[in-house]
Amino acid sequence: MRVVIGEGSCGIAAGAAKVHSKLHELLEGTDISVGIAGCIGMCFLEPIIDIYDEKTLLKRLVKVKEADAETIADALNKNDFEALKKYEISEDDSVFLSKQTRIALRRCGLIDPESIDAYTDDGGYSALKQVLTSMTPEEVIEEIKASGLAGRGGAGFPTWFKWNAARKSEGTEKYLICNADEGDPGAFMDRAVIESDPHTLIEGMLIGAYAIGASHAFVYVRAEYPLAIVRLQKAINEAMEKGYLGENILGTGFSCFLKIKAGAGAFVCGEETALIESLEGKRGMPRLKPPFPAEKGYENKPSNINNVETFANVAWIIENGGEAFSALGTENSKGTKVFALTGKIKRGGLVEIPMGLTLKEVIYDIGGGIRDNREFKAVQLGGPSGGCIPKELLDTVIDYKALSATGAIMGSGGMVVMDEGTCMVNMARFFLDFTTKESCGKCVHCRIGTKRMFEILTRITEGNGKEGDVELLEELCDGIRSGALCGLGQTAPNPVLTTIKYFRNEYEAHINEKRCPAGECATLRTYSIDAEKCKGCTLCSKKCPVNAISGVLKEAHAIDTEKCIKCGQCKEVCKFDAVEVK
Amino acid sequence: MCENCCNSDLGLLSEVFRDMKNNGDNLITVLQKAQDIYGYLPTDVLYEIAEKTGNSPAKVLGVATFYTQFRLKKVGKYLILLCKGTACHVNGADGIEKAICEELGIKDGDTTDDGLFSLKTVACLGCCSLSPVMMINEETYGSLTPSKTVEILREIRGRETE
Amino acid sequence: MSDIINLIIDGKSITAKSGDTILTAAEKNGIEIPNLCYIKEMSPYGACGMCVVEAEGMPKLLRACSAKVSEGMIINTKGERALKARRIALELLMGDHKGDCIGPCSLNCPAHTDCQKYVKEIGEGRFEDAVKTVKEVIALPASIGRVCPHPCETACRRQHVEEPISIAYLKAFAADEVLKSGKHILPEKKASTGKSVGIIGGGPAGLSAAFRLIGNGHSVTIYDKMPKMGGMLRYGIPEYRLPKAVLDTEIEEIRSLGVEMINSFTLGEDASLKDLSKKHDAILVANGAWKSSSIRCPGEELDGVFGGIDFLRAVALGEKPDIGKKTAVVGGGNTAMDACRTAVRLGAEEVSIIYRRTRDEMPAEDIEIEEAMEEGVIFRFLTNPSEIIGENGKVTAVKLQVMKLGEPDEKGRRSPVPVEGEFITLPLDSIIIAAGQKNDPSGFEEIETTKWGTILADEITYTTSIPGVFAAGDTTNSGASIAIKAIAEANEAAKYIDAYLDGIEIPYKKPVLSERTVTDDMFTEYEKHPRIKMPQRAPEDRRNDFTEINLGFNEEEAMQEAKRCLSCGCHDYGHCKLIKYADEYCTDCKKFSGEYHKGFIESKLEIITRDQNKCILCSLCVRTCEETAKKGILGLVGRGFDTIISPEFRNTDIRSICADCKKCVEVCPTGALKITE
Repeated sequence: MRVVIGEGSCGIAAGAAKVHSKLHELLEGTDISVGIAGCIGMCFLEPIIDIYDEKTLLKRLVKVKEADAETIADALNKNDFEALKKYEISEDDSVFLSKQTRIALRRCGLIDPESIDAYTDDGGYSALKQVLTSMTPEEVIEEIKASGLAGRGGAGFPTWFKWNAARKSEGTEKYLICNADEGDPGAFMDRAVIESDPHTLIEGMLIGAYAIGASHAFVYVRAEYPLAIVRLQKAINEAMEKGYLGENILGTGFSCFLKIKAGAGAFVCGEETALIESLEGKRGMPRLKPPFPAEKGYENKPSNINNVETFANVAWIIENGGEAFSALGTENSKGTKVFALTGKIKRGGLVEIPMGLTLKEVIYDIGGGIRDNREFKAVQLGGPSGGCIPKELLDTVIDYKALSATGAIMGSGGMVVMDEGTCMVNMARFFLDFTTKESCGKCVHCRIGTKRMFEILTRITEGNGKEGDVELLEELCDGIRSGALCGLGQTAPNPVLTTIKYFRNEYEAHINEKRCPAGECATLRTYSIDAEKCKGCTLCSKKCPVNAISGVLKEAHAIDTEKCIKCGQCKEVCKFDAVEVK
Repeated sequence: MCENCCNSDLGLLSEVFRDMKNNGDNLITVLQKAQDIYGYLPTDVLYEIAEKTGNSPAKVLGVATFYTQFRLKKVGKYLILLCKGTACHVNGADGIEKAICEELGIKDGDTTDDGLFSLKTVACLGCCSLSPVMMINEETYGSLTPSKTVEILREIRGRETE
Repeated sequence: MSDIINLIIDGKSITAKSGDTILTAAEKNGIEIPNLCYIKEMSPYGACGMCVVEAEGMPKLLRACSAKVSEGMIINTKGERALKARRIALELLMGDHKGDCIGPCSLNCPAHTDCQKYVKEIGEGRFEDAVKTVKEVIALPASIGRVCPHPCETACRRQHVEEPISIAYLKAFAADEVLKSGKHILPEKKASTGKSVGIIGGGPAGLSAAFRLIGNGHSVTIYDKMPKMGGMLRYGIPEYRLPKAVLDTEIEEIRSLGVEMINSFTLGEDASLKDLSKKHDAILVANGAWKSSSIRCPGEELDGVFGGIDFLRAVALGEKPDIGKKTAVVGGGNTAMDACRTAVRLGAEEVSIIYRRTRDEMPAEDIEIEEAMEEGVIFRFLTNPSEIIGENGKVTAVKLQVMKLGEPDEKGRRSPVPVEGEFITLPLDSIIIAAGQKNDPSGFEEIETTKWGTILADEITYTTSIPGVFAAGDTTNSGASIAIKAIAEANEAAKYIDAYLDGIEIPYKKPVLSERTVTDDMFTEYEKHPRIKMPQRAPEDRRNDFTEINLGFNEEEAMQEAKRCLSCGCHDYGHCKLIKYADEYCTDCKKFSGEYHKGFIESKLEIITRDQNKCILCSLCVRTCEETAKKGILGLVGRGFDTIISPEFRNTDIRSICADCKKCVEVCPTGALKITE
């Protein structure tokens, strides 16, 4: 029997490593081994333990705490699976996985990411072998073309086209680059893939390198992903040792070297030309395009850049054929897409679904709907470059075209669900705060434009909005979109435009009535105590820093709104949910 | 400008430069390794790096100030990385930031006078399912509330003042 | 592949070399595409977003500096989308640009005299150049320098350090110096146009217009009803402030240009407006405002009641008005000060000022008030004549209502209100009412007037209701004001008369300018050097005669004073690409104002001073230093909105690295970089 603990970063953050060491200690000397796997993507259930008999999954235990280790070890030793019942995943929650179609994530959470044997045992590197021994680069590109695979980083540009351009570009020295600078706040698909199945990325990259004719490849990883870097480096080392990487791979004469470059904290480096600058050790400021990287990229040599998820699909496509991939999805969007489902959702985590499902299916059928019985309000796709899609459009299918039509974008896979308590103006402000901080500062439209949008949004959320501010925002959005140098700036207006488009009334309420309909904007809030619910425990009045709450013991209290500084401490301490915010 | 000038032991960099020659490390990698050694990037270290990498000091400073990972000032013993990703935002990261700032009397990017804590907000720690999240040194703390956050900080301070 | 590419830019079919950028191709064919971060010698950068153009069939705008031409391309450089993107770029830049295109001194001068320039020239001892600069705008610098209430000084930024620069006296000093040397700085006269202009009124406005118009080749005749030219400068300003010898010299300079000057001419008697219109191709009415206003107080008809300017004029004409031993002047403006101090000099034993508010509200200049006090004038604040009392038709006293200041209104102004029942009676031999002046419309009846009876003149072109008749100065619109305002109007009117005579129209657009808003704390770094006091005759000495009270600066004092100038106006104005484009594209430069980027002035490189406030981060200096000068001293620091350009950070020996090539200064599209003076 094997005990496998899911140890991606968030599993570890939830306590998986502690459970691991405890179980290791308890099971030492038994014939039960303790191993690790990556992240299966059910973040809401972490830490997760899978119990295998050889290759068969016997039980999946969820939300295991360090303190539970003893009970579990005991049960395993006694082969008493009844005792594990209370930890077992519920049928309801199992739906989260069973409704998915996994290609990029096919091995995530199922194999040991730190062992190349685990990968090859599962059929890994067979696609690479196939490519190197029986396919020409052109045939590889043809296969990718047949699959309809498009860049999963957000823009959705056909992968084969980029590969072909790089292949045809003049020059013998070419580079293949993997963009793992997953900076979109609220997205962690790439991290999960690297942490959970690094060889899939390496294999996909090698196939790509072969296709374009590159003998050097880089993975540009965010510095904020230390575990991913460690695991990827280990995978590279093992692949080198086993001859899958480096000089004369598998004796085929094809050579390719792979290096990790850790980013240093700049979202803009997700933009491919900025990424190249950063790879060269410079400030990550986007270059002018043309020339495109396929012509002049890293060190001015032809280069091809794809993101992690794109590469993670490649080996599968070779193994199963491009047509198998293109059989999934819609007319213009083929295959599957991975999303990081988060926010006010019941079941949050990594979701891979075939293109063409509706947002509703993902949020309700897989995600289980909204937490705490609240109302769905909007879903944010594409992070700072994307937009908020309202309730009325929940039946939109997930497909590049259909999502763009809403004003949002497919994006790299961040899917943040919001309920009625989320203020959409503040949401736009949040993203502009992000873009302002992450703008590289090179072009005028983005450098000053995003700052001004942020300032206007801030004054609106603080109750200082002026008539005409919405129009001013729209004017800025329009100018920035057409004038900014790179994708970061050109798409920065999207969060503002979509919230104006679908939630204009919220902007107007802030500006005209000095009211935040969602009750989120602190300066526009009013706090009151529901006399029915208040038990007169006096806790709030003791906590209030400005003595704005009056009342005697065991009688309903009241808040003096004149004195109230809207700090929210009363609401936090109230055990009876009697403090109302409007 | 010389607040960061110090007499750093530049000998510690020799390995970094050796690696650079062998692996073709770029400037960013060199700066990352230097920061790992010194905890931040002192001015004299930046000069040494400029000299040894063949870059102008202006360029080295340009790179060191472009990326948020690099620090030109010493940080506190405990570096709080507070996630301000979308999921954390939706789940109340602003309130957590306020609680930290009030408890420690510092702003984002500052260090407490006693040198114990530094606060840095970050775009996303990638632990969205545990949001709101903060990391203090290597430890991740999830599902925070303002009061829980204050408790954590007080506990660390208590441990330190013992 | 053919080396020659055919494409269309703005409807014009052109050819370009394969590999050319759209910008290069356009420039070679005389089509200008704006840009701020591009120079030919360096690889394109793409920061400013000004060179965006539309390409048919492309949804996105192209940056012309980098996009290459391709066969059959159809480019529109002036499409709506491109113009909008440029406009927004400029409005964003202007909203984040902190600098004064033009110094506040010059902006606040109604005639926009280039004060900063001539003050600098004086500071360098170049007095002739200074006078040349002044005469671009002011034809009578020695006179105006003495009498101007100098709005330039009111706006002078130096007061945030300690006191404003003594701009007006510096002007008088330079003009005096040049006159003393016997030099006359006069405009070069253009070839004769054969056109003639008649100017009615030989005051500051009429003389200024004559100076401009004759310089432009027209023949000019001034008609004035007084015996001598100079208008109010001669008949309204007392000798002790402006010696008439000075004025005479300057008038003679103008006459020497060939201006015909006809005095003792009364319109309607000697000739009608119609007659003059027939005689001349254009007429400028600049007859001023010569009638004293009444205060509508009983007893104004009595003997011994004088109008302020009437009194001053009489004295100027050499008459000796009988004001007796005790007199009072009603009013708080500069005319009131002139009147009371003249009264002192006429030998009155007790001279009072009657003013209904307090000293703080007095419109007269502080220095005038101080000097009057020094000369023994009694100031009776918060009093207002309610009745002038007389015996046998002759003034004997004035009954004064005691006033107090009321509650401040919305603008914070406190109006005087009577204190019920409180009166003072002041025995007097005469009273001078200096409560404003009006124009005299007689002879101009055909011209449309305002409801105040002044001549209605267009505020931009100075045309009146009669074609070919222009009007400027005190006689128009809002009425009497200061001399420099009349001069400003006359200069403008002369410009439009010129155009009228040439049969062209000048389009008017208010130029877009960058202006700073400042506070005292922005000036803490400056060392304090108090303003140099104008040397004066002692009060007990000067009150006895009409000799000029100011003794004038000496050369050293003047140069020292001039060097106090902070040089607020941008050295690059006129060359600045940013303001040029802003002027062309912006509708509202303040539209996107908000927090400014970090700004400071820095001169670590010694020969170069960098004003970060004006930097637009085009990076041309950084790139030039690196690519052309091969020095790499300058670099970008920080990220996003807070990015700045900074020389590298070591404190010592950085100067020695600089190649002194000054290329960075040359390439800067704004005034952010300059050679240190």
